[in-house]
Amino acid sequence: MHAFAERFSTNGAAAELRRAKEILGEDDDVSDVMWGSSGGFGSLVNGVPKFAVPSVPDPTSFLRMHTDDHADPSCRIKIKHGTTTLAFRFKGGVIVAVDSRATAGSYVASGTVKKVIEINPYLLGTMAGGAADCQYWETYLGIQCRLHELRNRERISVAAASKYLSNLVYSYKGMGLSMGTMICGWDKTGPAIFYVDSDGTRLKGDLFSVGSGSTFAYGVLDQGYRWDLTDEEAQELGRRSIYAAGHRDAFSGNTINLYHVKEDGWKFIGNYDISEMHYNGPGGADGYGYDVRVQGRTSANPPPEAAAAQA
Amino acid sequence: MPDGSFSHPQQRQFNPYSDNGGTILAIAGADFTVIAGDTRQSEGYSIQTRYAPKVFRLTDRAVLAVNGFAADGNMFVKKVKQRLEWYRHAHAKDMPLRAIARLIQTMLYAQRFFPYYVYNILGGIEEDGSGAVYSFDPVGSYEREACRAAGAAQSLVQPFLDNQIYFKNQAAAPNQSHPAHLPLPDVLSIVIDSFTSATERHIEVGDGLEIYVVLAKGRSAQGLEGARGIQELSTKSDGDRVFVIRRELKKD
Amino acid sequence: MFLTRSEYDRGVNTFSPEGRLFQVEYAIEAIKLGSTTVGVRTPEGVVLGVEKRVQSPLLESSSIEKIMEIDAHLGCAMSGLTADARTMVDHARVTAQNHAFTYDERIRIESATQAVCDLALRFGESVHDEEALMSRPFGVALLIAGVDEGGPQLFHTDPSGTFVRYDAKAIGSGSEAAQSELQDKWHSQMTLREAHLLTLRVLKQVMEEKLDQHNVQLAQVTPSKGFEILDEVKLKEIIDAM
Repeated sequence: MHAFAERFSTNGAAAELRRAKEILGEDDDVSDVMWGSSGGFGSLVNGVPKFAVPSVPDPTSFLRMHTDDHADPSCRIKIKHGTTTLAFRFKGGVIVAVDSRATAGSYVASGTVKKVIEINPYLLGTMAGGAADCQYWETYLGIQCRLHELRNRERISVAAASKYLSNLVYSYKGMGLSMGTMICGWDKTGPAIFYVDSDGTRLKGDLFSVGSGSTFAYGVLDQGYRWDLTDEEAQELGRRSIYAAGHRDAFSGNTINLYHVKEDGWKFIGNYDISEMHYNGPGGADGYGYDVRVQGRTSANPPPEAAAAQA
Repeated sequence: MPDGSFSHPQQRQFNPYSDNGGTILAIAGADFTVIAGDTRQSEGYSIQTRYAPKVFRLTDRAVLAVNGFAADGNMFVKKVKQRLEWYRHAHAKDMPLRAIARLIQTMLYAQRFFPYYVYNILGGIEEDGSGAVYSFDPVGSYEREACRAAGAAQSLVQPFLDNQIYFKNQAAAPNQSHPAHLPLPDVLSIVIDSFTSATERHIEVGDGLEIYVVLAKGRSAQGLEGARGIQELSTKSDGDRVFVIRRELKKD
Repeated sequence: MFLTRSEYDRGVNTFSPEGRLFQVEYAIEAIKLGSTTVGVRTPEGVVLGVEKRVQSPLLESSSIEKIMEIDAHLGCAMSGLTADARTMVDHARVTAQNHAFTYDERIRIESATQAVCDLALRFGESVHDEEALMSRPFGVALLIAGVDEGGPQLFHTDPSGTFVRYDAKAIGSGSEAAQSELQDKWHSQMTLREAHLLTLRVLKQVMEEKLDQHNVQLAQVTPSKGFEILDEVKLKEIIDAM
């Protein structure tokens, strides 16, 4: 924490040095090492990534002013947001399901986002909040997990990996990082899920959903969840829950990405279009939403008995 | 307003950003990629220049388009080029496209707390010879796509591309399917139409158009031979090749 | 001669009038005390072999670690003061991971080797903000083996920070005899199997003890499976075939 405070403070010795370097035109990412075999790892040269900070008394409010579209919808730099993600543990492993929509304000910035980050063959991370924060730090977590593996000749546990990430983002607390992620995997203890967010929360659990559409996903998930689901039932529950969120939450939608983590690592199950799920369902025969509303079971098109009773 | 007197409360803000308008787009084909941008640079309602390039050749197989705040964009391109050169010295080869994409992520994210106000689109040829487009947000989240528009007229151009490239909301004719990749002449027409249309309906788009075409190694220049005023920028003719086509857009 | 030598080998960064850095040369001598280590490159992959000196029957031979993985596509074998190698291998691992993080690709074998060698001269006094890591040169040499887009490769590094590419190389106490044997037997179209056998035969020649699956270790790097240390079962099978 001391190093952290020093790194970002605007007064004191470290800040003086930083200012002097700025005046001399010494760029932080141009060190001697840049010319050697490391050929420019930029902010990684000295191990922990370093970040440029504006020379203002309060860098955090500077960042919020220019990037936070909740505080100011007309702000210039729009960071991608919005999501529904879920993960749950059951006897057959871990199911991870996410949508693929990214919004910048009310614009659908992308409908093809990969919100499941493949940290390594045994670990998955999900993306909610700032897309770049999740992508960058979970990739960074990936190399740290690999180093752990090389140094200890043993795969990192899900608990340790999630704690590494949690400690990392906690050291930037208050700086404006935004991430809500589930670290999912299989280790010596079996299937495991940890929820980690940029506030520093880290929770172990059986079932989580994160993002603007999480309430909708929880509704479906909670009523269908059992420990002894079969693999097919569990995958269907994950898919159906994200569909529900995509259907009701404007900030979620487009497609579903479904993963299943088992003892021998994760497996990508498939990508499903949410509109396609609505009309035709995963098998092409049974839509999640359309049939219910059209085949004589709604007020617009009531079953014959109900219509007769009304008349 | 700050007037130098202390008779009333004053507020000052550090605002180092400005929006210089313009639009960029990129479309990937099976063995080529097209990256284009207009050349107008404006601030508010006044046009600063009619020729400020937003698309830059990085290597013989990578082209970067930047949009947003021009000063940040130009500095960013400069730093990317510097890193590419260092990489060449350290590793004795040109950086592959996907490596450039990851490098751009780390460079953007290094400014996470003082972001570049720049939307980047990287286009070019992958190691396997396929055309590729990578799009970035200002702090470095990125994904590989088949096409992407960014900038002032993003919301005008992207829906058009979704329709013409991804065939969104179009049903294929019976017993037929939509092509996975369009041929080069079709892509060039779509790019030119995108920009002429955006020029009509967006005040910050116009003046000139620069279309970069990257061809995979071994692919003939078929589809380009008819293009007016085409110029080759590649350093060797037996590898991946880069061309630029310049066109005028309306100047009102 | 003896007098000049004793005067100019005190400071680690002092040249002698003949232009030699004695401390670095002594460090290179230290490697000749180490156990013999062999590397053989073939078009199918690279083989590394080391002799484990099991000084006591009470010693657990599996705890001697002289071949280490750097990343999935490269590894190294060492001879000399193996404790020094840990610093170098960890640096190589971190460099390889940093490269993967920054460029989303595997590091080239030569770049990883260069990174290790950059460390070699970081001894003596520190120069402005670049901190010196050690008070003396490394006392270890490495054989770095790997596969990248340039195919299977074998590099040799020494305490002076020099690295050279080899088709086959032996280092350590038996290196002279081993190297001439390699020179005789190596040919450019060797199979991986032949390289396994050659490596073990060379080690057998220079080892004092009788070679078995407990006192040698073999590793290989192949384009398909990357770096792997052969287990004792596989090792025994090759020894029996020898």
